[in-house]
Amino acid sequence: MLRSVMDSILILAALLNLAMLATSRMAACIRTFAVQSLLLALLPVAVGFSHDAAPGVHVFAIAAGTMGLKVLLIPWILLRVLRSGEIHREVEPFIGFTASVLLGALIIVASFAFADGMPLPSRAPTDLLVPVAVATLFNGLLILVSRAKAITQVLGYLVVENGVFVFGLLLLDQTPALVELGILLDLFVGVFIMGIVVYHIRREFDHMDTHLLDALRES
Amino acid sequence: MHVLLIVVPVIFAAACIALPGPRLRLASLVLGCAAHLGVTIWSWSAGFGGKVDLFFGIEPLGHLFVSLMSVLFAATSVYFVGYHRKALLSQRIFLACMLALLASLSAVCLSRHLGVLWVAMETASLTATPLIYFRLSARSLEATWKFLLMNSVGIALALLGVFCIAVAASETEPVLSLVWSDLILRAGELNVVWLRAGFLLALVGFGAKMGLSPLHSWKPDAYGEAPPPVAALLSGGMTLGAFIGILRILQICSAAGLADFAGGWLVVFGLLSIATAAVFVVGNNDYRRIFAYTSVEHMGVMVIGVGLGHGGSYASMLHALHNTLNKGVLFFMAGFFWRLYKSNRVSDVRGALHHHPVAGVLFLGGLCATCGLPPFGMFFSELGIVFAAAQRAQWWVLGLFLLTLCIVFVGVMTAMLPMVFGPPPEKLDSVRGDEERWRSIAMLTPAALLLLAAFVFGAYQPAFLRDALCAAAATLQPPATASLAAVPRGMEVLP
Repeated sequence: MLRSVMDSILILAALLNLAMLATSRMAACIRTFAVQSLLLALLPVAVGFSHDAAPGVHVFAIAAGTMGLKVLLIPWILLRVLRSGEIHREVEPFIGFTASVLLGALIIVASFAFADGMPLPSRAPTDLLVPVAVATLFNGLLILVSRAKAITQVLGYLVVENGVFVFGLLLLDQTPALVELGILLDLFVGVFIMGIVVYHIRREFDHMDTHLLDALRES
Repeated sequence: MHVLLIVVPVIFAAACIALPGPRLRLASLVLGCAAHLGVTIWSWSAGFGGKVDLFFGIEPLGHLFVSLMSVLFAATSVYFVGYHRKALLSQRIFLACMLALLASLSAVCLSRHLGVLWVAMETASLTATPLIYFRLSARSLEATWKFLLMNSVGIALALLGVFCIAVAASETEPVLSLVWSDLILRAGELNVVWLRAGFLLALVGFGAKMGLSPLHSWKPDAYGEAPPPVAALLSGGMTLGAFIGILRILQICSAAGLADFAGGWLVVFGLLSIATAAVFVVGNNDYRRIFAYTSVEHMGVMVIGVGLGHGGSYASMLHALHNTLNKGVLFFMAGFFWRLYKSNRVSDVRGALHHHPVAGVLFLGGLCATCGLPPFGMFFSELGIVFAAAQRAQWWVLGLFLLTLCIVFVGVMTAMLPMVFGPPPEKLDSVRGDEERWRSIAMLTPAALLLLAAFVFGAYQPAFLRDALCAAAATLQPPATASLAAVPRGMEVLP
């Protein structure tokens, strides 16, 4: 039962990567990310129950921290930055939407093939954890390199971070909570600073395209 | 007591935010860095290596690196007093970030837990971001964005690498501790497949932060646009922090018998970095970007050294020491040249030796040091790597290493010697007035001291320094051979 819930959540999270690659409106993209994070925030609790009938406060703290940061606070910051600019709300990919969805699907297939070759740790709650983590990570990198807007690049970074988060669930009951909270705090401050920089980029260049950021190169 | 190294800069950073006047805040910066240096010196004489707690502790490698950073930050704080004019970015935030960078880098060096190391490293790159955006211009914004994004993604990959290593350890251990000294002790039980994956991810992740090619592209931009004292801190200090991240994981790998696998990848990345520097140094017309590429080169030399192992590890530690001293001198002089010539272009700067003899001599010394001319230490560290490669009969590595180093040498010297010699351009403001004079002294003295240290430690190596370097290098060897590797064959004859 618990296992099928976890598997469904993981599959949905992997599919949301494709949804993000296919979305043309930036606000919708950010909301899709929030939904993905919400699904992932449920996972620590599920994993906790699968290890142990009564999991400690630790898993709830991580779930709550993820929920607060990645579902509420960070999407709110990003949407605010987005609203502060009046123009260019489309995503503007370097790689077309169809092509990037196809690439994303290929990445998912490849990650399942890759995870097949790695020895699965015996304590893994479900064997989908590693492939979904790797797929999310590389889909995030794809978003990062294939989109022109600074804010979509931040989104790509956050999806990469979600992939790392899924992988971290393998070690859920074994890492000190202090370290995990430190990771979340760093993530938050990082996105906060990125938000400020994106705001400055918009003010400086009148929009958020990073392909104008090419003054610095070898003469 | 080692926690003082982290706490002291934090206290002074808080003071920077709280204090009212700009002069008081500058004083707090200098005092904070001086206090950190004081604690470092005290730690060497008192030797508080015995006491460790769960997350932090002093051991030879981290002790060496934190001392290097401490010296660099102390020199930079004095330089900054002369450099700083009007506040573009809030001076309060800028100085506090500088001290916070020192604190987080010290935490990186002292951390015993891989998770804590990661958190501290990420904090370091976040505190460095406002420092790069000092000029508030479009160009510095671009540099800041590239730095932030590349480093964040790199560090995310490094976190995945740390997690892979944790998975490698999780099979045999019900309660996981990511304390690296424990992992080294239990290295034989680790799962090799996950350990390899973890090493590669961490190498790419921390390598992006260290500026190893092909993930170096943020480096020339960030070092070119950040104010020179900040570039000195990043190239001499933060790169060491990322390097220590790689070294911790290398220690675990070599204890698990993966020394050849890990060393091979380190050598590949190192050679690629030096080759990249060789390509981009030649014909470059921006002297700060050239220095940034020499930094890519030096990072390459350092990882090749540890990749070769044995004598190479010692040479790599020696190179780390001289890299810190040298990057300080170069970027301090770059900032001073900007003041003299108001340009970053190599072609605009001519005849420094006539225009400002002291600056010209210091710059020339810095150039010789960075290219590895004999009295300076980098000659001996690079020679040590050549010996190590020859000892292991890796002739291809040796040949490529020498060839690319020579290209960098020629590229740097042909670009920069005309900056020093020849007639200066007409219509230059010379340094006038009392204020300008003390500013020049504040800027040139730290550069001169660092250059002097590079010269002295190259020509004559005191016993304490040699012991520190050997102890740090010995920690990088697989436990069984550690006793043999302290002094490499062929290096005994060198000073």
